[in-house]
Amino acid sequence: MNLNIFIQHFINALSLGSLYGLVAVGYTMVYGILRLINFAHGDIFMLGAYFVYFATIVYHFPWAVGVITAIILTTICGLLVDRIAYKPLREAPRISALISAIGVSFFIENFAVVVFTGMPRPVVQPPILMKPIEFSGGVRLIPLGILVPVVSFALVGVLLWLLYRTKPGLAMRAISFDIEATRMMGVSVNKIIALAFGLGSALAAVAGIMWALRYPRVEPFMGMTPGIKAFIAAVFGGIGSVPGAMIGGLILGFVEIMSVAFFPTLSGYKDAFAFLLLIMILLFRPTGLLGEKLEDKI
Amino acid sequence: MRRTRNLILTVIAVVLFAFFLDKAPLLLNGYWQRILNLIAINAILALSLNLIYGITGMFSLGHAGFMAIGAYVSALLVLSPAQKNAMWILEDIYPWLLNVNAPFIASIIIAGVVAAIFGLLVALPVLRLGGDYLGIATLGFAEIIRILITNTARLTNGSLGLKGIPAYTTLFMSWGCLGVVLLCTVCMLRSNFGGVLRAVRDDEVAARMMGINTFRVKVIAFTLGCFGGGLGGALMGNLITTIDPRMFMITQTYNILMIIVVGGLGSVTGSIIGSALVTTMLEWLRFVENPITIGSINIPGIPGMRMVIFSLLLIMVIIFRREGIMGMREFTWDIFFPRRKRAAESPSAKTDTVLEVRDVTLKFGGLSAIDDLSFDIKHGQIMGLIGPNGAGKTSAFNVISGFYKPTSGTIKFMGESIGGLSPDKVCKAGMSRTFQNIRLFGHETVLQNVMTGSRIRQKYSWWMTLAPFVFTDVIREDSAVKARAMDLLSQLGLADFAYEKASSLPYGAQRRLEIARALATRPKFLLLDEPAAGMNPQESEELLQFIRRLRDEFDLTILLIEHDMKVVMGVCDYIHVLDQGVHIAQGTPDEIKANPRVIEAYLGKGAA
Amino acid sequence: MSMLKIDGLNVNYGAIHAVRDVSLEINRGEIVTLIGANGAGKSSVIRSIMGLTKSTAREMTYTSPRDNKPVNILGHPAEDHVKLGISLSPEGRRILPQLTVEENLRLGAYIRDDAKGIADDMEYVYGLFPRLKERHRQKGGTLSGGEQQMLAVGRALMSRPDLLMLDEPSLGLAPVLVDEVFGIIREINAQGRTILLVEQNAFAALKAAHRAYVLEVGAVSLSGTGVELLDNPKVRAAYLGG
Repeated sequence: MNLNIFIQHFINALSLGSLYGLVAVGYTMVYGILRLINFAHGDIFMLGAYFVYFATIVYHFPWAVGVITAIILTTICGLLVDRIAYKPLREAPRISALISAIGVSFFIENFAVVVFTGMPRPVVQPPILMKPIEFSGGVRLIPLGILVPVVSFALVGVLLWLLYRTKPGLAMRAISFDIEATRMMGVSVNKIIALAFGLGSALAAVAGIMWALRYPRVEPFMGMTPGIKAFIAAVFGGIGSVPGAMIGGLILGFVEIMSVAFFPTLSGYKDAFAFLLLIMILLFRPTGLLGEKLEDKI
Repeated sequence: MRRTRNLILTVIAVVLFAFFLDKAPLLLNGYWQRILNLIAINAILALSLNLIYGITGMFSLGHAGFMAIGAYVSALLVLSPAQKNAMWILEDIYPWLLNVNAPFIASIIIAGVVAAIFGLLVALPVLRLGGDYLGIATLGFAEIIRILITNTARLTNGSLGLKGIPAYTTLFMSWGCLGVVLLCTVCMLRSNFGGVLRAVRDDEVAARMMGINTFRVKVIAFTLGCFGGGLGGALMGNLITTIDPRMFMITQTYNILMIIVVGGLGSVTGSIIGSALVTTMLEWLRFVENPITIGSINIPGIPGMRMVIFSLLLIMVIIFRREGIMGMREFTWDIFFPRRKRAAESPSAKTDTVLEVRDVTLKFGGLSAIDDLSFDIKHGQIMGLIGPNGAGKTSAFNVISGFYKPTSGTIKFMGESIGGLSPDKVCKAGMSRTFQNIRLFGHETVLQNVMTGSRIRQKYSWWMTLAPFVFTDVIREDSAVKARAMDLLSQLGLADFAYEKASSLPYGAQRRLEIARALATRPKFLLLDEPAAGMNPQESEELLQFIRRLRDEFDLTILLIEHDMKVVMGVCDYIHVLDQGVHIAQGTPDEIKANPRVIEAYLGKGAA
Repeated sequence: MSMLKIDGLNVNYGAIHAVRDVSLEINRGEIVTLIGANGAGKSSVIRSIMGLTKSTAREMTYTSPRDNKPVNILGHPAEDHVKLGISLSPEGRRILPQLTVEENLRLGAYIRDDAKGIADDMEYVYGLFPRLKERHRQKGGTLSGGEQQMLAVGRALMSRPDLLMLDEPSLGLAPVLVDEVFGIIREINAQGRTILLVEQNAFAALKAAHRAYVLEVGAVSLSGTGVELLDNPKVRAAYLGG
């Protein structure tokens, strides 16, 4: 394998990993606060991709406007999911909310089939993102491959700034440890939870849009596998930890791309690596790389 | 009398249903016969997932994977060599596999067994995880199984799948299998072992203190559930005659999950009703995806609409009727008949020093919860452990009863070292306890709570409960345990509540029930954690008498933590005082009352 | 001048009737203490006042010294109470272990937006508890029990409450520290805040309080001034089993 191809793979892994990471952040925020696996998160990601498809390709919005519209619409969908399917179950056993999440995931996927049909639709890639750039040493990269990780890292940076430098961020970190104690401080817990869903959905929308550009098509079930893998990335990095989610996503991306790059015969097993990785980490370090231990009380 | 009546009614119902199945091909068209078949298969799948999740409380999302294993194993066994030769196009089939063959009945049993073996392999590492992580890990295994099937073309024909599987799954076959599965499940759940399964779900910590090796119990339930998954998958394959890896995606697991949620988590009856409802509805809803013509109006079919309605219903069920149709209730013939009220040995051992605690230290992080604690308890003593909140009393209990490993020091019970033994082993050795914040198996009856306590003193093995009519030990031992439990309940004044749900009892009665359950394990040594908490003065006066009676009637040695000084001073022979993990005083009640260090620790400075 | 008036408060947890018909009143500027054995329902009363536990009552009104208007606070969520000027340092401290000392305090001031005022109050809290200042960058979970207690009290002060409720502030503290904490409670009271104190350490609490209520099995069994109760033989008996 020459350097050129290796760099191609490296950039590929970086893009894929940062996309997983971006989706994983949404899982980790919601799980950190509500201890709920938001199974619908992968489908929110799919909605983001569809919205941008409709905005730019069907209704011919300029790209910038289309992307912003898609992010806003996706965020609204994420908030609605919380409001309709999870909020009534805050006091219920956690398992109820989990089953509700499975129901919502089902609903969004099939609703997408009804509205958008099950046919995959091609996405037209803006030529400016696809024109290869030559680097010295014969390395050729397309701008999209660089754009994806740059945007992802920038967004996670913004999120970390929000979490660690603003008041709502402080409240969000606090409620993930102790909802009631945070409520005693005068924090409107439901607003903060909604904020977490909103932020997670917005990031998933961006990830969905970039995913649609990378594999230039959209289809109703496109969120399923990336969704589950992103959750795995979140567990791997340590559920509840935003940097952990990003690191978990990157590791997953690299394992997937590199194992196939070095051992092409294993390509059929590509999707199994994520699960193997998950089971290994759960067995040997159940709290994930950066996670904190949650203790049961006797 | 009641039992005979119910048995006769059951036999009549089964015969009538068999007669119906016999005539079904004449009465029903192929479409409805298929639905009837699917109902039975889905019911088997639902029962098996319910056993894992609803009954034993393990959130598993791996059922589709075990179905896939079952479907493939059975299909590979019933397909003829000629069919196999024709089907493997891309790669050659393994030669040994070409000629492997088995009759249908054998094939579905083998399918179940192979799925159960995989289940066991999965369970051993994964069941150490709890809650959501278990769900995700099992989901992961199911996906891995699917990916393996896709990629091992020489074994499974890969993504092309298997076609032309003989349609052996007749109505009698599917319903017959359901009948056997149902019978075994019901028998097991009605035995005391079934009570143990539900106890693990309701409160794992308390179950361990009842001497139950909860990990083992969970592995058994999971493996049995996987058997059901494999069996259901095999029947499914032989019904629809074509299988491929895409059939066994997570969606398949969700469907079964939907059935048990609609029917009621933990209810066998619910799984059957849920299966009938959900299966019929799913098939019936197909109409919205097909074009319909009414007169001259053409309504085009809407693909996907079926699952949209389906998922909306799931969300609505979970938001508005969380417990499903049956909740945890079960069908019984008794509902047609008015219920009548129904209306009972003691252990002994003599060792002088029952418990010997030496230099026990327990640290969490850097902080000592207990510092260098030593004391002895003699046979027949009632010993008190007191001290302000946070003094380390409950930590001491947790160390003695095996929930925490001491950081250093030794604990000897009846002369044997028990430091570091798990709670179930400690319990087996003859120690039992209650908890500060009552930990009953809340969904179970009062009687079942006590019977669960007796499980460790029973001799029969769990697998015998699948067929108690063969292994009559199960029935005999269970009825002995039941009689003893009733006896205990009447001694503790709880007999009237025997068939009530434990969580519905008044507070004081719940405390007594917890003690009854502890006594059912036949302890020689009993630890009581704040038995008087939340009782009014009159109740605690009664408790005082009760604790003395316990010691005398059951020949017990008792260690208790208590804040109510009247109880402590009234009942204890000897008292130890802890403060911030340190043993600050010991003596008879009168000595303790006069001890200045105790007064200071309890009342604050300046009180003495 | 009455600040908090409760009449006929009841709390049920399933089959357990934890608080039975409790009535109490707190006047502006007082330290009132609620004492009683473990499980007597003290925390349930204080949690009901804060809106953390579902409860029923004939009356639960709070009169803020800011506008002197009595308002019903029963059935409102906790965050509204904080805005009215009530704050709670809960049982078990409930500090957020992964947040730094300073972040914990900042969270206490969540409802406020005056950066200058918050900074002043933080200095005020650091003045009360100099140990917290030394450790302001440390995570809450790494503090010792006593320091965590100080942090919980300090955090409750950060919302500038008129009524400060303290649930077992002496729990698990060494005797030296207990005296220190009660000294600070009196100091806070002297600065004009009304205090409701729930305590297991009856003597220290009674000595600090103007008035006291004794709870037994969920009901008020005695009430009076701190000094009266301190000399009451029944109180002594209840705490040492006579």
